[in-house]
Amino acid sequence: MSAAEFDEMSVESMDELETSLAAEPVTPGTVEMEARDLSVWFGARKVLEGVNIRFPKNTVTALIGPSGCGKSTFIRTLNRLHELIPGAKLAGSVMYEGKDIYAPEVDPVHIRLNIGMVFQKPNPFPSMTIRGNVLSGMKLSGMKRPNHDQIVEETLTAAGLWNEVKDRLNAPAGDLSGGQQQRLVIARSLAVNPHVLLMDEPASALDPGSTLKIEETIRELRKDITIIIVTHNMQQAVRIADNTAFFLSLDGNPGRVIEQGPTTEIFGNPQDQRTLDYVNGRFG
Amino acid sequence: MSATQTITFDDSRLEELAQQEPQAPWGRRTSTFRAAVIPGVLIPAAIIVGLWFYSDLPKPVLMVAVYLPLQLLAAVGAAIAVRGTKSAADAIIIVLAIGATIFSIVVLVSLLWSIFSKGWEAMSTAFLFQNNEYISPSTPLGWGGVGHAVVGTVLIVAISALIAVPLGVMTAVYVTEVRGRAVPYVRFFVQAMSGVPSVVAGLFIFTVLILSGVLSQSAFAGALAYSILMLPTVARTAEEVLRLVPEDLRTGALALGSTRARVVLRVVIPAAKTGIITAAILGVARVVGETAPLLLTSLKNDRTVLNPFKDPITALPTYIFDNVAQPYPDAVVRAWGAALVLMIIVAILFILTRTLSARGPR
Repeated sequence: MSAAEFDEMSVESMDELETSLAAEPVTPGTVEMEARDLSVWFGARKVLEGVNIRFPKNTVTALIGPSGCGKSTFIRTLNRLHELIPGAKLAGSVMYEGKDIYAPEVDPVHIRLNIGMVFQKPNPFPSMTIRGNVLSGMKLSGMKRPNHDQIVEETLTAAGLWNEVKDRLNAPAGDLSGGQQQRLVIARSLAVNPHVLLMDEPASALDPGSTLKIEETIRELRKDITIIIVTHNMQQAVRIADNTAFFLSLDGNPGRVIEQGPTTEIFGNPQDQRTLDYVNGRFG
Repeated sequence: MSATQTITFDDSRLEELAQQEPQAPWGRRTSTFRAAVIPGVLIPAAIIVGLWFYSDLPKPVLMVAVYLPLQLLAAVGAAIAVRGTKSAADAIIIVLAIGATIFSIVVLVSLLWSIFSKGWEAMSTAFLFQNNEYISPSTPLGWGGVGHAVVGTVLIVAISALIAVPLGVMTAVYVTEVRGRAVPYVRFFVQAMSGVPSVVAGLFIFTVLILSGVLSQSAFAGALAYSILMLPTVARTAEEVLRLVPEDLRTGALALGSTRARVVLRVVIPAAKTGIITAAILGVARVVGETAPLLLTSLKNDRTVLNPFKDPITALPTYIFDNVAQPYPDAVVRAWGAALVLMIIVAILFILTRTLSARGPR
């Protein structure tokens, strides 16, 4: 894609995105996930305190806030990846489809299968091909789904990568550019049919063209799944998120959710002075 | 020019720019540099060439005690003349580093050369493929050979690799993937094991398994002693390569709903495949020349033995040990020949490692 092409495309797509936002007002549907009084520790250090957020089904929620405010930690508690870190502790609860995912009878493998995650750094499996990466989730989780070819095409199309890789599905995943790798891992997480997709700054290392494609993908995916995305890019939050939660950790206090609500409210009419300062780029 | 207006690329200059020659401006030398560095190299060299022919001092002493200090002085002098006193330390370190490198290369090459020159005489097809069945130490060269010892080495090393490589890799998996409570102790013991003298490994198998009648002296007993020595090398190397697998891949796989076992088997080990092969080959190279563990466990045998559980068996190191102690010159030549064969086997292993790791992903 040439620079000129990109410019044209971005302007048009942005307009499209905004109209689509306006056209589909957010209706508070059923709650897919919810954090209740969630506090998180690393060893003795409390990094998050009293987080209460609801994530309605088929919405995009953006988590914003300065670095080190606990957004990434929070998102990792939502699919039980947090507990893999030695010394990790937690209080409160995380509800998914009405059940506490930290209840003793819950298998974390099952949770992670339903609540997928895309990381900041693209992490395709280097020993596998492009196709192998897309299907890896099924192999790794032991999930059986027929029509592998169809899944590969569908998910790569959904991730906006199909046209670029359809002729070299058996090439090593490492041959792809960073932006393509990130879309590949999105396709990979979609192939196991998650109900929720967590994204931890999925576009932070990408060029504007790839970022745009991923944003389009997110808007598209919202029809089927619930998305929770950490982002440092506030324009991005405005473009893609239905709801936004603002995290802040000041003066060595643990991170707290200062303000949350519809994205238009958080950015257009914030109630808290700190939110206003942050969304206007005055600190953080 | 102030940046108040935009400037676009001037296409009319393309032809002119096409005339540019690629250069390396950083390689240009000043005349001071030449005036200082050329004598700094030539004067010590000239002095040492003179002393080489007219001095009675032994040559190694001459090189280390005369040439090295002279070259150090000259380098420091040249460095100060060109860049000032601060660069003197640079000059000393460079001269010492080059000196140390040359010293180790000389030691290594003379070792290889002595094996090659002394062992070459023994080389023949008979030597490579025959055994020692009808040979006495005094039999002249041309009859008998190391064929049975090559078979012995391959058999013993292959069995020990079959035992130690899976164990070593599993140990590494425990340390880097399972991350259980015992990790510090496991690492400590693996480290301690790598310090076990090889004769102790042989003694251990001898007292525990042979004296007690569980095993007879055989290739298998030798292989068990070898695997004790191989295990820590494999475990530590495999641990290093598993550590190199990015944590992202593990979390990525877990986030897809994978079990821990599948993460290890389908993501981590495939990602570290070439490194694990390297670990195995390094483990083999570690033991292939060991003599002491075999002296009590596999003894010697002039016949070719293929059953690893039954008879004593000769391997290349024990063949060398046996022949080098004989009073017959031909037997000593045979020992050198066997050393050459062993060295070539190790060289092949290392070349294999290099090509395999060079072909790896990333």
